[in-house]
Amino acid sequence: MIFTLSLSFLAGVVSRAEGTDTSSANAGSAGRRVSDYNGKRVGVLAGTMNDTFVIKALPDAKLSYYNNTSDMIAALEADKVDSIAGDEPVFSMAASENDRLEILDESLQDYDLGAIFPKTQKGEKLLSEFNEFIAKLKASGELDEIYMKWKTGPEEKKTLPDYSNFPAPNGMLTMATEGSYPPLDYFRGTEIVGFEVDLAARFCEAYGYGLMIDAMNFDGVLASAQTGKADFGLACITISEERKEGVNFSIPYYNSSAKLMILKDNAGAGSNVSPGSDNSFLRSIGESFEKTFVREERWKLFLEGVLTTLVITLLAMLFGTILGFLIFMLCRKGNPVANIITRIFLWLLQGMPAVVLLMVLYFIVFGSVSISGVAVSVIGFTLTFGAAVFGLIKMGVGTIDRGQYEAAYALGYSNTRTFFRIILPQALYHVLPAYKGEVVSLIKATAIVGYIAVQDLTKMGDIVRSRTYEAFFPLIAVTIIYFALEVLIGRIISRLSININPKRRKPSKILKGVNTNDQN
Amino acid sequence: MIRIEHLKKEYPNVTPLKDVTVEINDGDVISIIGPSGTGKSTLLRCINQLEKPTSGKIFVDGLEITDPKCDINKVRRKMGMVFQSFNLFGHKTIIENIMLAPMDLLGKSKQEAYDTGMKLLRTVGLAEKALNYPDELSGGQKQRIAIARTLAMDPDVILLDEPTSALDPTMVGEVQAVIRDLAKTGKTMMIVTHEMNFAKAISNRVFYMENGGIYEDGSPEQIFDNPKRENTRRFVRRLKVLELNIESRDYDFIGMQGQIEVWCAKNQISPNYSNRIQLVFEETTNLLIPLLKTPKVQAVCEYSSETELAVWTFSYAGEKVDITKTEDEISLSVIKGLAGSIDYEWAENEELQNCLKLNIRSDGIVS
Repeated sequence: MIFTLSLSFLAGVVSRAEGTDTSSANAGSAGRRVSDYNGKRVGVLAGTMNDTFVIKALPDAKLSYYNNTSDMIAALEADKVDSIAGDEPVFSMAASENDRLEILDESLQDYDLGAIFPKTQKGEKLLSEFNEFIAKLKASGELDEIYMKWKTGPEEKKTLPDYSNFPAPNGMLTMATEGSYPPLDYFRGTEIVGFEVDLAARFCEAYGYGLMIDAMNFDGVLASAQTGKADFGLACITISEERKEGVNFSIPYYNSSAKLMILKDNAGAGSNVSPGSDNSFLRSIGESFEKTFVREERWKLFLEGVLTTLVITLLAMLFGTILGFLIFMLCRKGNPVANIITRIFLWLLQGMPAVVLLMVLYFIVFGSVSISGVAVSVIGFTLTFGAAVFGLIKMGVGTIDRGQYEAAYALGYSNTRTFFRIILPQALYHVLPAYKGEVVSLIKATAIVGYIAVQDLTKMGDIVRSRTYEAFFPLIAVTIIYFALEVLIGRIISRLSININPKRRKPSKILKGVNTNDQN
Repeated sequence: MIRIEHLKKEYPNVTPLKDVTVEINDGDVISIIGPSGTGKSTLLRCINQLEKPTSGKIFVDGLEITDPKCDINKVRRKMGMVFQSFNLFGHKTIIENIMLAPMDLLGKSKQEAYDTGMKLLRTVGLAEKALNYPDELSGGQKQRIAIARTLAMDPDVILLDEPTSALDPTMVGEVQAVIRDLAKTGKTMMIVTHEMNFAKAISNRVFYMENGGIYEDGSPEQIFDNPKRENTRRFVRRLKVLELNIESRDYDFIGMQGQIEVWCAKNQISPNYSNRIQLVFEETTNLLIPLLKTPKVQAVCEYSSETELAVWTFSYAGEKVDITKTEDEISLSVIKGLAGSIDYEWAENEELQNCLKLNIRSDGIVS
């Protein structure tokens, strides 16, 4: 097996500390039953149906909610939960790649997976075409073949139709998916693949559509299909009566079940890792590094994520600064209308969690407009950053003594000129350190854009984790990259604040072009 | 020439300027004195419209600057102002503070502005500080720079709002010297100040302001040496005044004694001297009141913080009553012992015809 050394380095440390006997490393947990976990801590994915399945089967279980499968597995490995509940195909893939994990045979609940479509005319039409397509595949037995190819086949055989070059006489379709549910949908390198993607591509090929794929958090998939942001969603979605109120479901394309996954007994020690050896720790780091960055050229994912994060941050910084300044200029002379509007806007923006603001913008305000998640992120963060900049300038200008205005007025400066020549240069210098802090906050705040189908650095880290089943290395890598970005942007602003400090000017510059020798 | 007509400035709670009408001639150097809170600074700030008057008009060379259509920025370029708190621009060097406005507002070239600036810096004695920043200077130096900055605009009128009040006493001299030189240049100047000797030395005209108006307007000799009006006299002599009125035989004697004591304490009059002031009041009223048919007495005590001496003046209506003619020798001798002398005057035309003056001695025996 490829992943025989799949321990995260941290787990490796723990195992050595415990000094576990390696001889029993491969012992299973045979005989464990689902009912053994009643009253225990169980992890589930937020937004899925699994929590209801767990409560039904294990009424006394204590539930913890996670945002993606890799977080759940990390929690299980770190002993935050005793077991985790999830979809059988995703879990079997995980268990086959991480030999500390084991799935209980007994199912919590059997259910069907279906594609979701918006309740619109176009959605209804697509739905009937998709149902027809699935029915055909089922009848010919092809559906099972495709699934088995993705579940068990060697990676090089897991190929997709080249959907980017479909002629698309009937138009383009946007598919919303999650991207961290191997083998159903997952990232291989920078490309989204999987059973569900295969189905979608074959469907589009057969019915004359082009295909575009948007990966986002699970909550976002449902919202996208419901609001018509996406034409359909395929993301390991359980067919349920409640969900049918918001979207239309296709006929099932896979009969799945909810399973419990646990850690193997004595799973702390990996089979091939010798705990006594001096370089096991370094080797496991090297292994993690290889898996996180090198394999399948995953560094490209990180690079893409960094670029997206940078683009959002820098554009929001630029536009937000302009916006905040413009609002300040409008409110400066105490125009009551401008003031009231500004106050309401600030109150709304500052009272709303950024993630809610983004979702409102993406799914409601721009719900019917074709606009990329990156653009919506830039707009959202421009608004929040603009509000912060407005507050900063207001504060900075407020620190300037009334006498500075009076002295300028008394010399004959107009109100506007006084502001730009005398007040603003002094205020800016006061404000810059706080501005730097706001920018650093902005970089970190952009980590939530995964909710609206943007693959930023954080989301890319999640995607890599969902493939490598490494709990910590990608997280730490992402953290280090964030630090590097913060240092970089912080440096630029510090540089700026030196330039903007009037007292750091060189005397020769102050009197540039003046003949100072003339004694008259 | 500046003409001010019925100028009034009102705030929700106070009215610093009630009604000011005055003309200021070109070349006048006017000192404005008076107790605090009487509208001196407000008058100055209204003249260059840093405060918008509630009502009234101001004309500068015939142009009504209180007219909303008037371009006040243009007027201000010809009307410099020096502030109590200097208000130098913190982000600019000294020379830039002086060069900025001529370049921005008068279209002077950098070289021109620099040359004028350096010339002015030399006249205020701070040429070597040209490239320093304001926060590297002492208060006196800052104020001299502020004056140079004002002069760089070559104004016709210079308004100085308590230019030395925020300074350490050791620095007052250097700033006053610069202002004194300025006063000789023939520019119109108005200066709010508490330094009366300085005001007397530099100005050709003095406004004594009180209660939101110009109470007395005259030459420095008139105001400081021969004030025409009572309150001016009290102010320039630094007199503290207490006024008590007795309108019947059953006046509140104990209450008045208390008032005198509190007033003395407030003006830091020594307990010993305070005692004398009270005793004179007690003995005089004891002697005087029974002699009056219908008592109507105004007793005023004036205390000069300069000489540390107090004077009681009793003015009363009715027939001629001179207590020195009394038969109560003991009371009279007590009063004489404390007061040294008793002066009595009769003025037929006054409302209170009798006037009794007692200078209270600071030495001698208290019985």
